[in-house]
Amino acid sequence: MVAGVPCVTCSANEVSGLAAKAARGAGAPPAQATQFGAAAALHLGVGRAVDCLDAALAALPGGPIITLPLAIARIAETAQGAPARGDVSGAKADLLKSYLAVLPYDARLEVGLENGGTILLDPMRPAARPPVVRLDLDQQTYTAWSALAARILVPESEASRRAGAGAGTSDND
Amino acid sequence: MKDVFEAPPQMPLRPAAQVMRLSRMGSMFPTRLSFLRSLIRRLAEERATVTREVWEICTDGFGHAVFSLRLGGHTYSLVAVATDLPEEMRSDRVIATAWDSAFVLFDGIPDAEDIARITANAPLQEAGRFGARDLILSRANKSVRLFAHVVEALRRGRQPEVAMIRDIGYLMRTTAVYGNGKFGIADRATYDMRPGLEGPFAAEMLTVWLIRHFTHALAEHVGQGPLDPVLKRHLGIGNSTGLGMAPFLVTHPVLLNNWMMARETALARVRAIPALTPQQAVQLAALGARAAAHLAQWRVPSAAHQARIETLETDWRAARGLLRPEALTGDTPLDGVLHETEQMSADVQELMAALLIEPFGDLVDGLADCMSDPFGAFAPPLCDTDAVRAQMLASFGWALEPDYTAPEECGQFWYVSQAKMEPRLGLRFEEDGAALESPLDIARRVSAAFADLPAEPEPVSDFLRRHPDHALAVERVGLSARYPYAEIRDNLIAETCLPVDMLRCKLSFFGASKFDPKSDRWTRITLCQGAPLAEELGAPEVDDWWLPVFPA
Repeated sequence: MVAGVPCVTCSANEVSGLAAKAARGAGAPPAQATQFGAAAALHLGVGRAVDCLDAALAALPGGPIITLPLAIARIAETAQGAPARGDVSGAKADLLKSYLAVLPYDARLEVGLENGGTILLDPMRPAARPPVVRLDLDQQTYTAWSALAARILVPESEASRRAGAGAGTSDND
Repeated sequence: MKDVFEAPPQMPLRPAAQVMRLSRMGSMFPTRLSFLRSLIRRLAEERATVTREVWEICTDGFGHAVFSLRLGGHTYSLVAVATDLPEEMRSDRVIATAWDSAFVLFDGIPDAEDIARITANAPLQEAGRFGARDLILSRANKSVRLFAHVVEALRRGRQPEVAMIRDIGYLMRTTAVYGNGKFGIADRATYDMRPGLEGPFAAEMLTVWLIRHFTHALAEHVGQGPLDPVLKRHLGIGNSTGLGMAPFLVTHPVLLNNWMMARETALARVRAIPALTPQQAVQLAALGARAAAHLAQWRVPSAAHQARIETLETDWRAARGLLRPEALTGDTPLDGVLHETEQMSADVQELMAALLIEPFGDLVDGLADCMSDPFGAFAPPLCDTDAVRAQMLASFGWALEPDYTAPEECGQFWYVSQAKMEPRLGLRFEEDGAALESPLDIARRVSAAFADLPAEPEPVSDFLRRHPDHALAVERVGLSARYPYAEIRDNLIAETCLPVDMLRCKLSFFGASKFDPKSDRWTRITLCQGAPLAEELGAPEVDDWWLPVFPA
């Protein structure tokens, strides 16, 4: 949160959902968008800067939202039942840390570099649940992410109004 | 010395290929593992008492009230706001913007400032903004006909007509019960380790039970007289549920697995009981009779659904014969009962499954502790594309069969509406918007990924680098090895997909009964009917309200 900037106080789940929808709106496939949403809520919840999240969204349909999960998965594939270590590049260390923190298994950044780092992970060892923190999302980010998220919404049409949710015109009894 | 948990003996679980078909999920009934039942047992164990902290309601029934109770060492309060809603504004549709009553389940006892904030925001629902101590947000509309009748009768010093209570069964219907951070309310993870709220939807169920308590108090206040406790107990809380709830089962595969696994394990345990005591046999026969009476009282306006209920009534007469005490004398008699029903309809089978679990709380109630998902999905990654293929063939063979280019196999698409930001189901060849389809087409996605798998094995990450759109399918395939009941084993974009089956599955886990489908996309139900009243939580038979029957 930046001093003097108006904010929206959100639940972690709201931020996670909004970030995931923004990623989908910006072109990420569903699984990668969901991973980004979880990482984004944790990222902001622990006080990391929003800039690298915005940059990741701006880089879609390429960039770390697509490549980070693959790079992490690549190292996990080499684990074969034991802890594994490997290098990841193409994302700021802070964003990498946020992605590692929401993995279902143990993972941590051993050495952080400007554009990645060395990670250690153990795919056979379930991770502790990451912290859930309410957070203040600045209005500018909230608006920008909402605009991206709106790209996956379908406007009403005469046909959809007719079909609706199947309810009649009066629901009283 | 180590404590070693020994699981009770059990028969093999029913296979996912049978249990996870959508049509069968649309035949489910509530069980003693349903979330409302678990919650009420917990409240009863703690001898919870509901206190009226605030009652600022006018003689016409408008204003606000606060009810509190202690559970697991914490105090929770229902803040209820009742407004004078013009007739023309009353609608159960999610597109409505005003309701008869709005509710917040508050963490603690709200002070005047909290109450002022909630009374200003709760009636706005989605347009309001909520805080960390607001756990659940809900709203409800009156059953105008029954509410008016009850009030009028009480004002005349009489009790309402039994037939109306029986046929309608609730004074208000909730049309949304929001949890887990929606509109700024608390994240579920901030309270789901608290005693009493660990179970799935426990806070939501507590809210619903307290709303029911409020509706009784409101009717008695406006009617200026007490309701007969027997009638009151049969007045549950209605609920109107549409497509918004359906995608949950697809987007929460681990939860779905855990719910189904607990229920199926319970059934497998009772099937393994070697022999019944005479009392257990008598109880099973009595439950069979109760189910018959329940079916006879389950009346709905939809001709098609009423016909289905009547068919079940007829079939149940034969099925009940299997529950005669003299028929339950052999080895593993309940396994025999379930085998005998295999030739009967899915409705009969699922009713029987729910019934067989009912008398055996000591054997199955602990399974309710396994129905939440506190740790999230955990599945070690599949080693290469050959492993993905093998797992697809093992768990998703059903998804590889359809031709998803055929209109009947892809005739519908799920999307989120711009107008209300709610899930909807469109007709692919009649409506725009399929390009923005929501990813509920798991079967089609798995089939597409299967088709793209390379002939020679390669690391999954290499495969996904070339095919990033297959990541969701690969993720679900990975989960399937560990969570056998995680997937609805049907094509959810086929013309034949009926979302109301998804609703019934989820609502039965809540503890809903009296399903009253209004179309294949939304349904009314009744919750808490027959459930103990707040003042009855200490009664000895507090947990005996499976498939409630009106005693008149």
